[in-house]
Amino acid sequence: MKILVCIKQVPDMESRFKVDSAGTWYDTTELVWRMNEYDEYGVEQAVQLKEQTGGDLTVLCIGPDRVKETMKKALAMGCDRGAHVNDPDYATRDPFEIGAIIAEYASDKGFDVIFTGMQSQDRGSAQVGVLVSELLGIPAVTTIVDFVLEGSTVNVKRELEGGIKAKVSVTLPALFTCQLGLNTPRYPTLPNIMKAKKKELLSIPVQDLLKVAFRLETVSMQLPEKKGGGLVLEGDAGELADKLITILKEKTGVLAK
Amino acid sequence: MNFDLTEEQKLIKDMVREFAENEIAPSASERDEEERFDRGLMFDKLGELGLTGIVFPEEYGGAGADYISYAIAVEELSRVCASTGVTLSAHLSLGSNPIYLFGTETQKQKFLTPMAKGEKMGAFGLTEPAAGSDAGGTKTTARREGDSWILNGTKIFITNAGEAEIYVVMARTDKDAQKHHGISAFIVEKGTPGFSFGKKEKKMGIRSSPTMELVFENCQIPADNMLGKEGEGFKVAMKTLDGGRIGIAAQALGIAQGALEAAVNYAKERKQFDNPIASFQGIMFQLADMACMVESARLLVYQAAYKASNGQSYTQASAMAKLVASETAMKVSTQAVQVLGGYGYTREFPVERMMRDAKITEIYEGTSEIQRLVIGTNLTR
Repeated sequence: MKILVCIKQVPDMESRFKVDSAGTWYDTTELVWRMNEYDEYGVEQAVQLKEQTGGDLTVLCIGPDRVKETMKKALAMGCDRGAHVNDPDYATRDPFEIGAIIAEYASDKGFDVIFTGMQSQDRGSAQVGVLVSELLGIPAVTTIVDFVLEGSTVNVKRELEGGIKAKVSVTLPALFTCQLGLNTPRYPTLPNIMKAKKKELLSIPVQDLLKVAFRLETVSMQLPEKKGGGLVLEGDAGELADKLITILKEKTGVLAK
Repeated sequence: MNFDLTEEQKLIKDMVREFAENEIAPSASERDEEERFDRGLMFDKLGELGLTGIVFPEEYGGAGADYISYAIAVEELSRVCASTGVTLSAHLSLGSNPIYLFGTETQKQKFLTPMAKGEKMGAFGLTEPAAGSDAGGTKTTARREGDSWILNGTKIFITNAGEAEIYVVMARTDKDAQKHHGISAFIVEKGTPGFSFGKKEKKMGIRSSPTMELVFENCQIPADNMLGKEGEGFKVAMKTLDGGRIGIAAQALGIAQGALEAAVNYAKERKQFDNPIASFQGIMFQLADMACMVESARLLVYQAAYKASNGQSYTQASAMAKLVASETAMKVSTQAVQVLGGYGYTREFPVERMMRDAKITEIYEGTSEIQRLVIGTNLTR
């Protein structure tokens, strides 16, 4: 079985974000980087599938040289080899370009199963996985929270609104986008971290794989306006009620003036 | 010259931090309160992650990583729980490392391999009622009888005691020899007849780490369990402590880092006179000084670890790292309690635990006075 898992490197979400000078993305200086959380579940599921089937597992990541650090974690978790698509401009690409790069890479490899995260924590388009499947002409099952392989069929559970789960069966090859809680991502062990440095990590220039033009353009980006702080009223119950009625009358349309 | 961690070191740091925050931190306060050691969490899980044999070669069940990785692991564990940090340090530096350094091939296969894999825990018995900083004062005896050694005596303040399966113990094999020369090192397994545990110490800090007496009453062990040559126990002990100091220095560094972060976070949240207290220079300058001390200690600790990994002499470097890091841990954690004020003094916040935990780092594996003696003697000889 040939398995591909696609991951993205994103900033630590605790970071303090600033809009960059072009005004279309966040400033990437002085950020701490990590693996997109959704993709960690994808890597774990891919490694479990590899262990179950004795398959061969490639991890793919698009970005500048620094994304190799995040790829090493995936290798230390159990991926066999890495395909690094070297692209310093990855952050400005739209989901269609990203999907097309992955599909181009995968087109002649014959992957039976492809995993992606449901979405990225920074752009959050949730489009890349389905675009890849469409470009490759294989089915996609999104937002999976359970994955069981039986023969050449995969039975999954998808998470719907309100906590409802749907059971779906799909014949391979297929692509799956992973929701949080799908499994428990493992910690890479020390021996596996040490072994990761000996695994193949191939860099491919993005020009070799990018053959489409973008369809979406980010025009501008801004931080949300700061919300005003809450108002704490003080006094006894009667005073509090009077103050509250005054505020409701003056500042809202809830009560008639 | 390069101050960046390698890719492996970064991965190890991230992994141990995530593990420590998710698994170790949630119970740290409760284990301290109850003076409870949790073997499954504080040792077995470290074994599963490959931390228990981090610096030993793969052929002995280790991970083959360097001493900087080891220091990072102890630091990250101690950042949330100093008791877990010292459990790893005592197991690896004190229990396992002497067997790696001085053991025969058979001893390494038999003892070191299960220790490195985290199947067996290690401990080290040097201190006695009359032999602490003066290791030459060892009164525990070992008498040769045929193919055995018979041990008699008591060891005190032994970290991991009771829990560990394998103990490296110093005993006097020649009563007539000059102080340091008549001592030899032995490997003693838990469960050996004549080997028992005395009282459990009630400590100020690192209360989730067990500290007990080892009692030997005509304890008979195979002659093959002598570690190193007869009469070379003092050398075994001193070499072991050189490495141990890196572990304790890293533990102290972790405590200091944890206290610094707690103080910074609190100062940014806590408002007085309508402003976060971090905006007052009286607090901000304290935080700045704390951060400088922590970073200085870190550089010394990593430098000592670097020397240990690269086959350089590191006695002086590890003594300096241990001295500075432990005194930094004490100062920074005390300062952190001050920044948190009344809240810092309560057990609702972790800084009072960090302050209690920090004190021991100035005492065990060579007091600050002994570190100054080591450093000063090296300077002036």
